[in-house]
Amino acid sequence: MGMNVFVTDCAAVTALGSNLEELWQGLMAGKTAIHPVQRFPVLNYRSRFAACIEGLSSAGRSSMTHDLLNRLVPQIRGVPTDAMLITATTKAGIDNLEKFKRGAAADRNDILLSSIPAALSETLALENIGFNISAACASSSIAVARAAALIRNKRADAVLVCCIDLVTEFVFSGFSALGALSARPAMPFDKDRNGLSLGEGAASILLMSETRCRREKRPVLGQLTGWGISGDAFHLTAPARDGGGLIRAIRKALAMAQIGVDEISTICAHGTGTIHNDSMELAAFHSIFGARKPSAYSVKGAIGHTLGAAGGIEVAIGVKSLSEKCIPPTVGLISPEEGARGLVSSQPQKIEGDYLLTTNSGFGGVNAAVILKRGQVS
Amino acid sequence: MKLSITGVGWTTAAGIGRGRQTRQFSMPEGPLPVLTRKAVFDTPYQHFGRLDQFSKLGLASISMALKDAGKNTGIELRDMAIIVSTTYGCSQTDLDYFDTVMTDGGKSASPALFSYTLPNSFLGEASCRFGLTGASFVVNEFPPVGLSGLKAAMDGISFNEFENALVGFCEPGCPSGFENNSGTAPGALFFMIDRIEKSVHPPYGTVELNSRNDVLFNGKQIRDLVNLARECLLVKC
Repeated sequence: MGMNVFVTDCAAVTALGSNLEELWQGLMAGKTAIHPVQRFPVLNYRSRFAACIEGLSSAGRSSMTHDLLNRLVPQIRGVPTDAMLITATTKAGIDNLEKFKRGAAADRNDILLSSIPAALSETLALENIGFNISAACASSSIAVARAAALIRNKRADAVLVCCIDLVTEFVFSGFSALGALSARPAMPFDKDRNGLSLGEGAASILLMSETRCRREKRPVLGQLTGWGISGDAFHLTAPARDGGGLIRAIRKALAMAQIGVDEISTICAHGTGTIHNDSMELAAFHSIFGARKPSAYSVKGAIGHTLGAAGGIEVAIGVKSLSEKCIPPTVGLISPEEGARGLVSSQPQKIEGDYLLTTNSGFGGVNAAVILKRGQVS
Repeated sequence: MKLSITGVGWTTAAGIGRGRQTRQFSMPEGPLPVLTRKAVFDTPYQHFGRLDQFSKLGLASISMALKDAGKNTGIELRDMAIIVSTTYGCSQTDLDYFDTVMTDGGKSASPALFSYTLPNSFLGEASCRFGLTGASFVVNEFPPVGLSGLKAAMDGISFNEFENALVGFCEPGCPSGFENNSGTAPGALFFMIDRIEKSVHPPYGTVELNSRNDVLFNGKQIRDLVNLARECLLVKC
């Protein structure tokens, strides 16, 4: 269908590394950045663990988002000033709401989700202010999909997607109150999993049309060939048990990519480590792939659940996985639950083939599936 | 690709309304009407009273847009997207939630309130209530004109990502302590966007993009969604 969408640059800052290469090395070594939280008191919450970026701080009235974006921006290479900008965040500078409520000086504009594209477009001197997309934990995979749609519809030939979310007491307390936090570091797809660990991070993905990419001799790190977004229409915070919404999203993505299920080499799963999310995903994968079991992995035992930034960070890791022809281990996995056996592993795995499926699901019953293709493939 | 506008629904300080019911659309400053289940829905909706104000505002307006398009019947699943623009979103709910966190060091943090501290939460409510299984997401743009969401909906329908879409904005108003820079009065406004051949009622008109990515309604450029609503009602008159 339509024109190709090329990934020409990726960058990421997470608790496991200050850049994408450090993150990749940490993932492949099976490391975890989930540690006891020092940022705020956690005594009254169900967990004391999260993956916080070392030294992340707020200066004066500013949110910590500024520090995180300042760490990401120098790594973003070759963004043309006419690039469209789409950001993704669920809570932007919500740490400033905490400061404001506690009587400290805080720039309230940082709390608004539109503050992220405003700050980035100014820093990168872009011609467009752009806009933010918020769709819970699927925010940035949907942002990537919308960016690709802009390029395929010839409404843009370069789009920068940036995603960001923080670990704050606001979010930590909420997930604790919902009973979604694991008392120990998250164990995605493990039979003893009992919740998620929060994380924070930011990532950028620069997408271009094939024409512009070739004309400017940009590196082709990967291609984005299909996407699908769907709603469960089931429950506000719980996923549909049968994976029906995710199944629809994956089928839409496969149809758009014009490939069969056999061509998917591996799956970067949402894999939060909650009982219901992981079961739902396994149900969807079994429905789609049947007896064939492509390899799958989750990075959330290593970097935590980075919420609105998760999909973007996972696209960056997915591009790297296809390029390196291997996938990281699922950190935290000790004993896979029955449906996950033969699918996920606590060890790095080699992969063949050209296509990777990455999925995210979130509150509101939203599901997103994105299909990536290896770069430099004719 | 030309698409039809087949329904318009809103909640503003002037009241709750829909395009085929009235000749005027206005967004005056002032308090929004109290939204009760009976004022909005014809059938029982136990959840409604427990929703936060942002969600009630959005759901009421979505309900009116669906009714206006003749698509509020039945609960069968349908591949309809919901794309909403907002500036302040659920910020007031955020403030209310964090009050529960500060009460006693987090011990009394309210899970019910936290569930509505995402601006897309009410899209999930709408998805459940009306059986909508298409894409749903929130767009935050400045200035908040709502056209990015409309363009995203047009892209999605043209790529067969979903069959049709509800597109609009939902602005509950500036929370206390925030700088009011949205440039719009409080209120919510939604449109039903459909393929031309799929209308239940005669459509208000067609939307399309020109070569400069401007949105045209019946060939005339529109500035924002409020402008689009007024143009729709002019056509009807």
